[in-house]
Amino acid sequence: MGQVHQRVPLIDGAEKVGGKLQYLADMTMPGMVHGALVLSPRPHARVVSLNAAAALALPGVIGVWWHETVPQLRYNSSIWYVGQVALNDEAMFAPVVRHVGDRVAVVVARTAAIACAAARAITVEYADLPAILTADAAAANPGSVGEGEAPAFCNPIDHVKFVHGNPDAAFAAADLVVETLVSTPRSHHCAVEPHACLAYPEKGGRIAIVSPCQSVFAVQAVVAQATGIAEADLHVMKSPIGGSFGGKAEPVLDPICAFLAATLGLPVRIVLSRRETFVATRTRSAMQGRMRIAMSRSGRIMARDTVALVDVGAYSTGGNYLPGSMLQRLVRLYDVPAERYDGRAVYTNTVPSGAFRGYGSPQIHALAEISLDLAARELGIDPVTIRARNLVAPDAIEPWQGLSIGNGRGLDCLSRGAAMFDWQARWARRRDTGRFRRGIGVAAATHINGCYPGEEEATSVRMRLLPGGMVELVSALHDLGCGSDTTLAQIAAEVLGLKAHQIGITPADSDLCPYDLGTRASRMTYIVGEAVRRTALALAGEIRVRAALALNEDPGRVRLEHGLARSEEGEMSLAALADWMIGRGQTLPAASETYRASGNPSSFAAHFAEVEVDTFTGRVAVTDYLAAHDVGLAINPMLVEGQIHGGIQIGIGYALYEDVAIDPETGQMRADSFARYTLANALEMPPLKVLLVEEGEPSGPFGAKAVGEIATVPVAPAIVNAVNHALNTRLSDLPLLPERILAAL
Amino acid sequence: MKFNLTVNGRTAVVEAEPLEPLSTVLRDRLGLRGLKEGCCEGECGACTVLLDGAPVHACLTPGFQAEGRDITTIEGLGDGPGLLSGIQRAFVEVGAVQCGYCTPGMVMAAEGLLRANPDPDDAEIRHALAGNICRCTGYDSIVRAIATEAASRNRVSA
Repeated sequence: MGQVHQRVPLIDGAEKVGGKLQYLADMTMPGMVHGALVLSPRPHARVVSLNAAAALALPGVIGVWWHETVPQLRYNSSIWYVGQVALNDEAMFAPVVRHVGDRVAVVVARTAAIACAAARAITVEYADLPAILTADAAAANPGSVGEGEAPAFCNPIDHVKFVHGNPDAAFAAADLVVETLVSTPRSHHCAVEPHACLAYPEKGGRIAIVSPCQSVFAVQAVVAQATGIAEADLHVMKSPIGGSFGGKAEPVLDPICAFLAATLGLPVRIVLSRRETFVATRTRSAMQGRMRIAMSRSGRIMARDTVALVDVGAYSTGGNYLPGSMLQRLVRLYDVPAERYDGRAVYTNTVPSGAFRGYGSPQIHALAEISLDLAARELGIDPVTIRARNLVAPDAIEPWQGLSIGNGRGLDCLSRGAAMFDWQARWARRRDTGRFRRGIGVAAATHINGCYPGEEEATSVRMRLLPGGMVELVSALHDLGCGSDTTLAQIAAEVLGLKAHQIGITPADSDLCPYDLGTRASRMTYIVGEAVRRTALALAGEIRVRAALALNEDPGRVRLEHGLARSEEGEMSLAALADWMIGRGQTLPAASETYRASGNPSSFAAHFAEVEVDTFTGRVAVTDYLAAHDVGLAINPMLVEGQIHGGIQIGIGYALYEDVAIDPETGQMRADSFARYTLANALEMPPLKVLLVEEGEPSGPFGAKAVGEIATVPVAPAIVNAVNHALNTRLSDLPLLPERILAAL
Repeated sequence: MKFNLTVNGRTAVVEAEPLEPLSTVLRDRLGLRGLKEGCCEGECGACTVLLDGAPVHACLTPGFQAEGRDITTIEGLGDGPGLLSGIQRAFVEVGAVQCGYCTPGMVMAAEGLLRANPDPDDAEIRHALAGNICRCTGYDSIVRAIATEAASRNRVSA
């Protein structure tokens, strides 16, 4: 193959490494003004009054807006298109603030520094309301948490119950029942680029929005709902994005910037500070779970009974999808004859949750994989063996939605990974008894490929040959930094006999691109990649027909390779073909296809970790790590490894360090800076080994399927299991902070 | 206040607020937006530049303190107009770049390390990156890019 399965460097790599790529905060416009937010210091309060006199007196301040001066339209920041049903509970600025960091007002000034100083000069009078600061308190008090705003602000916001088989009979017949409680923290995306948005008036009274986003159409729909500006009057363009991981999937600043640009007739930019990014955007929902597993003596899972409580924070966002999403992933990993699941999502007066790499998967896998390890220990069965006895086989039908998991290769990940990690010998090693204790752990995981059947998984792609021989690819593409533009260019180039850099990709633009759901739900390579492949095939057909005329040859005998259209009779470059056609007044070859997926196969992974625990300090060092991934086929092994490496970094943090740490008494976020919110940095990260299982998914482009989200899913349980192995403990509250480890010893 | 800054070999007169950080001076006064701002409190390292060849967090360095010193930013690294330097090429070729936002700071931290220690081992490389946050790559490829470039420079000079 020419371009597929190759370690092609990023097509925009030179711009990035040269510091030339303009991110949102690097963009300026003539007359541009700057917004700064006033955020609530209270977890739940009525905004009684706002005194902006001192702020307005500062030179360069243009104005202040708060709930009395902006439209009181309720919206949901998680919608993907107009008309999507969701709980509309959020407003640009509302009369009631619902979490520390909730938006109270915005100041606009000539410079960002003046805007920030003015925001600090504003005084706000609050009337405190009772605050619900923990999921337990929310679950214990079902019903309204607001003031007459049903169906919004009613707990629980979602409750999913599912029963498969006969759990009661299986539990009664089990050789062993193990119950485990697991809690997972509220973690933050920590994209190095803070949230930012720029909006400006365009010709015809329209508003342009430039946003580092995951879907321009989602931005359009949310801003229309929040501001009352007609969807057709909003022109949304995706800017380069300095990391998202789901954190920029939901527009936070876009409605405000659009409203201000429309009101002032000026370009308005808001760039959040790091603290604001922590307290005023989105997080991963915290979960408390209980899993009971009924086991047979031989290590077969006979039944599971799962109860999960998810804290979605102050606004619903997409939180009502979380219990279902968690169930969807839970039932795809093991062949479990009887399953009971009860998942609830509740509001609290804490920072909202939203999309974050894996969307429920890291939470439910932490619960399932830590629970299974502790059950294995009681049975005296090796953790790899117990997983091998229960993992689903390829083409299994999962019991919830009745979908095939496709050519899912979880067992290959597990067995080949265990061999490469030398699991058996390491597991047989005698337990350490000194200060430093080593242990190993494993966790398996599965994840989805796209949104089918929850959403119409259709995507449209247009491609055409340009003068000069480049090929333009137009779809609503949002490369989040993962290299999806490069991957898709490779797919197109492979079909067209070109190199990836000869495919010109237009970033998503709501005026130019056909609708697409956006970069989310592990759908880029598997769904959009297949749409690109099919469109490229159609374009290749068109090019062959034209080239056949130019070469005086039968189209069936024309091959596209090395940038040339070739036959036995002769060859010409695609640039020469374009020139030849233009000279004859012909329209250059173009193709447009809509691809509709009708399945949702699983990706699988097995991760293996070695840790060393310092029993004096409680600190854990990850000393060795192997990630085995079922990717179907790696379109770009270098980028696939990069995705896996980055997923491991987020997962190690999830296991050991990361928690925004909301004070259950006051609602204040304790870890609201990089100084207090610990990430695994270069020193904490172990060398990473990756094993790719490439057995091909028939429905994916060239056999490929998703890797981006699943990469972070098994990490935390693998590490927790390794720590429990090292210390012979039953730790199950994440993150494993030193004090938790010391308390368990 | 007014002061002179020598950036990438050129001297410019800058007018800035007295304690204005070097990051703001470079980005907003001189238009050198290759360096990024991720936290403005010296934790993320996206604003790393070289001051007399050594990496500093430009957000923690008052601009005027850089007067009379030799400042190098990402814009000053290339091997010529439109050409990347060796360390930049290594980053792209081994996949050490994803979203790219931390990249200019990472590259400057790497360049600073290689100027001080031409033959670092992996532990020394990781130590040199301790002040730079990357959320995309897991650091593995960044460490490899720096080791690759070090080996390449040592081959050339050997």
